[in-house]
Amino acid sequence: MIEVKDLVRQFKSGDRTIKPVNGVSFELEKGTLASIVGKSGSGKSTLLSLLGALDKPTSGDVVVDGVSLAGLPAGKLTEYRRRDIGFVFQQFNLIPNLSAVDNVMLPMEFAGMRKAARLERARSLLEQVQLDPEKQSRRINKLSGGEQQRVAIARALANEPKLILADEPTGNLDEQTGEHIIELLSSLSRDHNTTILVVTHDRSLAQKTERRFRLQQGKLSEETVRPRVAAGA
Amino acid sequence: MSVLARSVGNAFRNKIRTAAVVAVLAVAIGLALAMLVANQAVGGKVQELNASVGTVLTVNPAGAQGFDGGGEPLTTAQTATAAAVPNVVSVVGTKALRLETATAASASTTGTTAQQAGPGGGPGGGTSVTTNLQAAIDAGTLGNRNNTSGSTGSGNTGTGNTGTAPTFSLPITATGIGAEVDTAGKALNITSGTGLGDYTVASTKALVGTTLATKNNLKAGSTFTIAGKTFTVAGIFDAGTTFGNNAVYTTLAEAQALAATPGELSSMVVTVNSMANVDAAKTALQTALGSSKADVTQGQRNLDTAVSSLDSVKNISLVAFIAALGTAGLIILLIMVMLVRERRREIGVLKAIGARNRTIGLQFVLEALVLVALGSVVGAAIASVASGGIASALISSNSSTAATSQRGPGGGGFGGAGLPGGGGPFGGASQLLTSVTASASPGVIAAGVAAVFGVAVVGALVPALLTARIRPIEVLRGE
Repeated sequence: MIEVKDLVRQFKSGDRTIKPVNGVSFELEKGTLASIVGKSGSGKSTLLSLLGALDKPTSGDVVVDGVSLAGLPAGKLTEYRRRDIGFVFQQFNLIPNLSAVDNVMLPMEFAGMRKAARLERARSLLEQVQLDPEKQSRRINKLSGGEQQRVAIARALANEPKLILADEPTGNLDEQTGEHIIELLSSLSRDHNTTILVVTHDRSLAQKTERRFRLQQGKLSEETVRPRVAAGA
Repeated sequence: MSVLARSVGNAFRNKIRTAAVVAVLAVAIGLALAMLVANQAVGGKVQELNASVGTVLTVNPAGAQGFDGGGEPLTTAQTATAAAVPNVVSVVGTKALRLETATAASASTTGTTAQQAGPGGGPGGGTSVTTNLQAAIDAGTLGNRNNTSGSTGSGNTGTGNTGTAPTFSLPITATGIGAEVDTAGKALNITSGTGLGDYTVASTKALVGTTLATKNNLKAGSTFTIAGKTFTVAGIFDAGTTFGNNAVYTTLAEAQALAATPGELSSMVVTVNSMANVDAAKTALQTALGSSKADVTQGQRNLDTAVSSLDSVKNISLVAFIAALGTAGLIILLIMVMLVRERRREIGVLKAIGARNRTIGLQFVLEALVLVALGSVVGAAIASVASGGIASALISSNSSTAATSQRGPGGGGFGGAGLPGGGGPFGGASQLLTSVTASASPGVIAAGVAAVFGVAVVGALVPALLTARIRPIEVLRGE
């Protein structure tokens, strides 16, 4: 279970103080598929970075399975990101001189998994996101944007994280592949009890999530709580 | 993909830049290795000089050197006096003989009765005895001129030397020695056969110089005669000079017996324990033996310039090695700082997906070492080609100064006066300077490369530590 308690992140810009996240609180049960919608610059990515321990909040706390992130040292936060979090970044953030399969293997290498096991799992994950087998050994810069996005999703799933934070996961995919990715995320949350929080402009994706939040001027409001619509519906 | 594999891949990410970095590193590393090779070569030479000649004192009878001069001979008893002087580690007596063919001996003694006179005519410390050996050196203009002037100037005015002089044949120098060293105290370079064993007892074994052996078709096991006595060639030695190789060594006792002067020495070679004590030992030795009885000369004095010059080259090469090493380290530091700055976002990504700081730091250190390894390979090739030339250039620029300062009254020394010994302790300092051979041995190259890697690790650690300061939020910059 993830509890977000009165989370604030503020920056100084000259004389002004900007609060892209201003007193955000919510809870997500394990296995929930949730989405955050909002205009560009509304603080969605900042909120994701706070949840994923990429950044530290000015105040407030994120509690994951009873463990407060605010009290964790840097080494433990690294371990948290490695073990409990899977990121899908808006701009993929893959390592350009590595192959697709090597990129997916990276988090597993950092987690200490043996090479044979991580190679097998990486290939399996790339198949799940429908990346052609012959493209799995290609360098990232030889893949299209959609293919890179699928590699990024596969990398986020590498260590079977508790929480997947996805920033526009279907933004660079065609409709059919996007549908498949939504189905994949949905089945992960349902079958593997993985909590997934998606930031998206894709209304169809947002509608398929159980809980939908809107972030506006740093404030979070919940729009919908409803049973999940089956993927492809 | 392991950290190492990823580091190797990163090192070649931009091939043009990698080639440029490796080229710059190779020049710095090559220069460092060349300087190290030069330093080691010069250091070795200095040690050799200090160990062999630099600590050697030569004692001659007061007023005599070699076959020239006058005064009273040294005695075996005086070796004990010399050995008792503080800091003296060894005393080796020598007894010089002049070997002449029967024909030459009879020609030189026509009108005289003494066999003590050499071709220079002086009483000297040398004794002429006959041999069946032919000298390996033709008298030539210098030999004949010296023979003529010697006869005139030294009182050898017998009838045989007036009128038409017979063709002069150079004598052969035979030296009885108390240990396996030449008259300069340097170990004999025996190129074939063996030494004489116990040099203190009479023996009919002898060592023959290379050119003398060639001239007389001698090899180990061959025989020849001195004063009608048959000697067996135990070994052939190479003194390094034409004059020095026209010589024979016997044991000291045998030479004294041949000269019929038991207990008499031509000179003593005294070795002092270190260069620092040579001056004090010389003074003490002179006092112990008596100024009226012995002249103590200091080979080290003339070599001071040579050693000082070599020390200067050694210091220059050491400073240049350290500077080149520092440059290589600085290049690595700057390159890696640039790469870390360039890859901030990528480092952020690695942290975001769970990489530890030490994993990322190690990746950058290994990447730096890959570049250094490539630079070292090219640099070692450069050093192996250039080190000889660089060392020669350094030495020749210093030896010109040294050679100028060496010219003086003692410059000719007794290397040309009658005793063999590789030019003698007073001559050839400039030759010593130029005889340094700088070859890039695998051991020195390995030590140099190890030093380069050590510096590279230090140079790469700074940027590697910088990666720890990069926050994972960097990954979101620009998004």
